[in-house]
Amino acid sequence: MSYHLATQQNVINWIRGLASENPVYFPEKYGHASYRFAKVEADSEIQFEHYTPTVLPPVKLLIPAREELLSFRKHSDGKTEINPTLDESFRVIAGVRPCDLKGIFLIDLFLKEGVADAHYLARRENTALIGWACTAPCDSRVFCAAVDSLHHSEGADVFITPLKNGDVLLEIKTRLGEKLAAGTDWQPCDDGPAKKVGVVASMQEPFGRTFPVGVQDIFKKVAKNWKSPIWDKHVERCFSCGTCNLVCPTCYCFDVNDDMNLDVTSGNRTRTWDACMLPHFAVVGGGHNFRPDPAARQRHRVKRKFEYLPEKFGHGAVCVGCGRCGRQCTAKIDIYDIILDLINEGERS
Amino acid sequence: MNTAASRYDRIARETFIPQIGKIVEVADMTAKDRFFRVVLENPLGHRPGQFVMVSVLGLGEAPISISNGPTGDNILEMVIRRIGRLTRAIHELNVGDELGIRGPYGSGFSLDDFYDRDVLFVAGGLGLVPLRSLIVPVIAERGRFGDITLISGCRNPAEELYRDQLERWTTDAGMDVIRLVDSTENMPWKFGTGLVTEPIPKMTMDAEKIVVALCGPPVMYKFVIKTLMLRGVKDTQIFVDLERRMKCGVGKCGHCQINNIYCCQDGPVFRFSDLSAIPEALQ
Amino acid sequence: MKPKVAFFDFASCEGCQLAILNCEDILLDILNLVNLVEFREAISEKAPRYDIAFVEGSIHRDEDIERLQNLRSRTTVLVALGACACNGCVQARSNFVAPAVNYEAVYGEDARNRVQVDADFWSLWSHTRVRPLDAVVKVDAYLRGCPVVPAEFLHLVKSMLRGTTPYFPPDAVCVECKKNGNECVLERGETCMGPITWGGCNSICVNNGYVCDGCRGTLPHANIQSHITLMREHNIKDEDIRSRYRLFLGAEPIGRGV
Repeated sequence: MSYHLATQQNVINWIRGLASENPVYFPEKYGHASYRFAKVEADSEIQFEHYTPTVLPPVKLLIPAREELLSFRKHSDGKTEINPTLDESFRVIAGVRPCDLKGIFLIDLFLKEGVADAHYLARRENTALIGWACTAPCDSRVFCAAVDSLHHSEGADVFITPLKNGDVLLEIKTRLGEKLAAGTDWQPCDDGPAKKVGVVASMQEPFGRTFPVGVQDIFKKVAKNWKSPIWDKHVERCFSCGTCNLVCPTCYCFDVNDDMNLDVTSGNRTRTWDACMLPHFAVVGGGHNFRPDPAARQRHRVKRKFEYLPEKFGHGAVCVGCGRCGRQCTAKIDIYDIILDLINEGERS
Repeated sequence: MNTAASRYDRIARETFIPQIGKIVEVADMTAKDRFFRVVLENPLGHRPGQFVMVSVLGLGEAPISISNGPTGDNILEMVIRRIGRLTRAIHELNVGDELGIRGPYGSGFSLDDFYDRDVLFVAGGLGLVPLRSLIVPVIAERGRFGDITLISGCRNPAEELYRDQLERWTTDAGMDVIRLVDSTENMPWKFGTGLVTEPIPKMTMDAEKIVVALCGPPVMYKFVIKTLMLRGVKDTQIFVDLERRMKCGVGKCGHCQINNIYCCQDGPVFRFSDLSAIPEALQ
Repeated sequence: MKPKVAFFDFASCEGCQLAILNCEDILLDILNLVNLVEFREAISEKAPRYDIAFVEGSIHRDEDIERLQNLRSRTTVLVALGACACNGCVQARSNFVAPAVNYEAVYGEDARNRVQVDADFWSLWSHTRVRPLDAVVKVDAYLRGCPVVPAEFLHLVKSMLRGTTPYFPPDAVCVECKKNGNECVLERGETCMGPITWGGCNSICVNNGYVCDGCRGTLPHANIQSHITLMREHNIKDEDIRSRYRLFLGAEPIGRGV
């Protein structure tokens, strides 16, 4: 809606100000070489410099690993009361990279489609997103440009693009963004779009890993390969541990479990992340497993990202190219390699 | 903020929050299958072939087929087989006990696909339960259909469901009922033995006019469909009712996804022609 | 009727029973729902029959086998409590050492020489294969880990009280590790048994900066070959890989095979 210019220090002060009023999550370095979205405290370091994608994508702040869906209580008069458990608290997630914005944008599509997911909606609609454009690849594993997520900014309330001179261009994209920016001393900027184009033009080429064909052609190649030795090849080392699903910004499958308190009259129902790579994901009541074989599960995962969901929703690849799954796979299986093999397989046949 | 709060609460109540149903009748159908009639707070308003998510609060929830015809009242009938933790617990319940019910969910059968056609129902084991929700309204409007045949098969005589109902359908529903068991296992049985596929080649059948509704264990589908196709029945004339693991019923949890379709929303009833390009559907 | 619950132990440190005693916040509530008839760590009372027997410890000697079989015949449900009972735990390492060598390590060379000539001690040598409970009797449920996880114990007790089967998903430790947002142990340059190990522990060791040692046993679908390849890629010597496997899995077929 409007463009502004500010120094990085302005922006850092602004975020600190926001954090004094609301929970603000920002990428923080931790462990040996990892980052995570953590709540900004008074002594938190805020830096927009280089970072590799966080262990878990920010969308997981909106779909916690374990969340209560409802609680119930049987009253002494025999009536059972059931109430949904909803988190409508306000939060800001800042420093969200385009790949992760695309992830949230896609999850919005999936969970709002048809019958909306009330628990997600309650969190999402009470969350402000402050995006931060990438000007250099996070590391050698990303392929965001190849799956069209490098320039994604939809869904951000404020989107920040770093400029060559060290200052930043701020794009206020929503009413909520305007509210967050109220009282800042940013300079209005008339040629915002042109400045953005300039930044994009000066970005390195190629940006991260690339595919020899475009996204639409990848879909065709993936759709063509049902029976292919490629599926077997890439699960030889698979542990079926589900890591690739659990760290994915576009995975949202869940399991539901009930618990009864020891008073035997009250309890709750929770949902937890599930993963289609886990061996028992497609087991039905009678014990039949519709995908007992890791290769079939891998095929399902890849096709979900590059065929099924793109077809159903029409918003491009449902893989944002962040590289988390490949980076964190203990068996060194990388969806990039699988797609590349599928593309080349198509060439041969 | 208040209006927003009620909005999320309302959506949650429409989706993940079950209504309470009271069990008003329980009857054993076989050693492991039990019939339940449940009275709900609100009308069920279901179509044939739809399912509900049934929960025992504090224990869990699972998709269960609706077995009564679409009457529009607040009665829900189910036949539940004891196969897991939840169904075992449901079997412990008696008249007056409560069940959590969400739904109905799924596409179900549309009677429009069956009017003016010959109808063949093929049920394997528990598959008769969801098919019953279609057979009942078909019989109710008997005059609007051509020949009606039901092939119902199960493992042995003791496992046959809806015995009284099958008797009545045989005598006064204007329907050919073929009752089969894989093996009599030395139990008394006055009907046929064999697989549900076996009567199909021998049936008098107008392959152009017939519509088939099929429900049973995964292994049954491939063989029945193959046999039907050999008789010249087109894949557009075959409807199948699939079983998948489901945790939400509203296309979110991902468990029932088969290729690009969600069993809970796009199914569980599918026209077979919509599945023929989907290899995992009948595996 | 409250179910009669009893605790028994074989070769173990009794730490799992202590872990349960440590659940102070829920213990009294549980005791209201069950009738605890035998618990050496807490009370002492004998009953002829039990509804649920929690059995800690691994099986070493012939008299252990007899006692366990007797227990089995007197209980409706038998729960293997902790790593010793589920998969042999650390003491199963002795399965790979000759009994005499073990004896010498503990009691010295003189003692070893003495008992070898004294027929009264010979039976010692036949007693040293360490087995989990299910190598001897049927086990109805497993509470894995060294020590057991209170949340799993609670789930099991609640399930038993409701007459349902407890469910412990066969997921790798990695699942909970990711849910906890942990940096992967491999990222730290260390190796981990997590990818092949039964989860349910909430990845407690990794959460606290350690690595997974596999105390909860291997998953039914564990890809052992891949795990060994992974260890080798991290320049772990085969000898050390074997040692990692034998630390907790010495009584499992896989521990013997690596």
